[in-house]
Amino acid sequence: MTALTSDKAQSPRRAKPWGLRLAPYLFLLPNMAIFGAFTIWPAINGFNISLYSSSDGRRFRWEGLGNYQRILTDSEFWGIALNTVLFAVGYLILSVTLGVLLAVLGNQQRRGRAFFRAAFFVPVLISPVVAGLVWNWMLERRGGLVNSFLGLFGVGDIAWLIDQRLALLCVIGVGVWLQLGFYMLILLAGLQGIDPNVYEAAQIDGASRWRQFWSMTLPLLQPSVLVVVILSTIHGFQAFDFIFTLTGGGPVGATTLIVQYIYENGFVSPIRYGLATAGSVLLFLVVFTLTVINWIVGRRREAA
Amino acid sequence: MTAPAPTNRQSRKDTPGRTWTTTGTRRVTATDALRVVILSTFVLLALIPVVWTLLGSFKTPAELAARPITILPENWGLENYTDALGRFNFTVYLRNSVIVTIGATVLTLTINAMAAYGLAKYNFRGRTGLFLLTLATIMIPLQVILIPVYQVVASMGMVNTLWGLIIPAAATPTGVFILRQYMLGIPDELIEAARVDGSGEFRTFVRIVLPLCRPALAVVAILSVMWRWNDFLWPLVVAQSESVYTLPVALARFNAEETVPFNLILAMSVVTIVPVILLFLVFQRQITTGIANTGIK
Repeated sequence: MTALTSDKAQSPRRAKPWGLRLAPYLFLLPNMAIFGAFTIWPAINGFNISLYSSSDGRRFRWEGLGNYQRILTDSEFWGIALNTVLFAVGYLILSVTLGVLLAVLGNQQRRGRAFFRAAFFVPVLISPVVAGLVWNWMLERRGGLVNSFLGLFGVGDIAWLIDQRLALLCVIGVGVWLQLGFYMLILLAGLQGIDPNVYEAAQIDGASRWRQFWSMTLPLLQPSVLVVVILSTIHGFQAFDFIFTLTGGGPVGATTLIVQYIYENGFVSPIRYGLATAGSVLLFLVVFTLTVINWIVGRRREAA
Repeated sequence: MTAPAPTNRQSRKDTPGRTWTTTGTRRVTATDALRVVILSTFVLLALIPVVWTLLGSFKTPAELAARPITILPENWGLENYTDALGRFNFTVYLRNSVIVTIGATVLTLTINAMAAYGLAKYNFRGRTGLFLLTLATIMIPLQVILIPVYQVVASMGMVNTLWGLIIPAAATPTGVFILRQYMLGIPDELIEAARVDGSGEFRTFVRIVLPLCRPALAVVAILSVMWRWNDFLWPLVVAQSESVYTLPVALARFNAEETVPFNLILAMSVVTIVPVILLFLVFQRQITTGIANTGIK
């Protein structure tokens, strides 16, 4: 036995048996093959095909930067870009503020804390398609659940999904409804990582609750807030599925966001591949830039 | 998780907000009341749509159209469900959803765990690069590469096939990440010992490493099931003919056509949401800790 181990110890690193040297590559191969074929290659190729146009997805014509020129001068696209930004900003603000509010309150709650956390999480589990069609039904102008409830207090029927501005607000609201429990969970985990002694010290120093929240909880929660900011930025710009059944992008395009634009130009006739792919690349650049900015700002804040 | 946590720990955590001169902490302050009111309001907002869907799924078209609205259905018969099952190949969509969800989850677990093991337990050229590449693609959601991915799938002849739904998103970066982090915690000596005993690399992985990773595998499995079951954009693009529709695609299509009675749509909706909710109730702890730890969905 001793002979064996000393022998092993003496053998230089280079002399690893073939099998052992090859093993990691073989372990990684299936994952990387699928990953390469369906994520990395398409990501690279996406830039390439955004330089071509096609109306059927089979025959392509070289456009150079023509697609970008067309999309950037397309008034429909700018309307959609504006919708997307409004949605993303509203979604981000509501997600972060409500997420922090509910996480802090939920964390202080002694009784039924587990129940609250589970209940908030239920919408996260719901198929977004179902959420969209159910909210559409509940927001019906005449006799929808929401208006019927408000009617009890003498509020007249509100045209939630018919009025253009209200419709965008509803889309933001349903989007937040779907994901809030998820963000809250991340923030709750962050809160539970804060050392309770910090609060005891503040207590002795006579800091008010509000003061404690602003000068201790929030700064200490910073890393979790950063995660939620980054995720809700990405989610905000990707929103699509629940809107498909909630408003379908209407009324008159008021809730059409960029992913729907990409989907429709790419797959619903009349197909305009060039616009769809150029839109994808622009979306990628925006999301990528924002993520990097979030990251840098978040890090700097943390360091400060 | 479901049982209330021991009160001694909780009251200790709770002291900061209270007047610390009083010893009895049973007094309900105005802030306590306000907090419960706010939390309960949000719980109602979270749950009412789900309950309303469930109630609606038992109502007849006439009841759904009644104004003013009624809250409880007149009877709790399952007609809507049996009706929905009998019409428009509902069982086909259900079966497709089940096959895609299970198939994709098995594939994801297999290849993610293998990749994670390679990254966690071997030293080789390019390891850091491959890991960073995997992480970076968390930032490339399907939405921004929809068309180029579709082209790859089309060129492989996988449009309108269940394989086209299963394979492309199987190599999740999240899964690799979660499993790798977990595997880093497995002592190298264990693997080394197996090697000395003459166990092959793959055998060591299957017999020794995988059983130890059960908690992490459970988290990835649950996340994968949740994602795949509710997935919409990709199935919408790939499943163009009815025979490969998954439940969400079928629901969205029928809902858009407005030819299918809404009571049946509601019954289908309930069938779509119930499995995931049941899964959550059973695996609540794994799901919440898994998400809290990775912060990724």
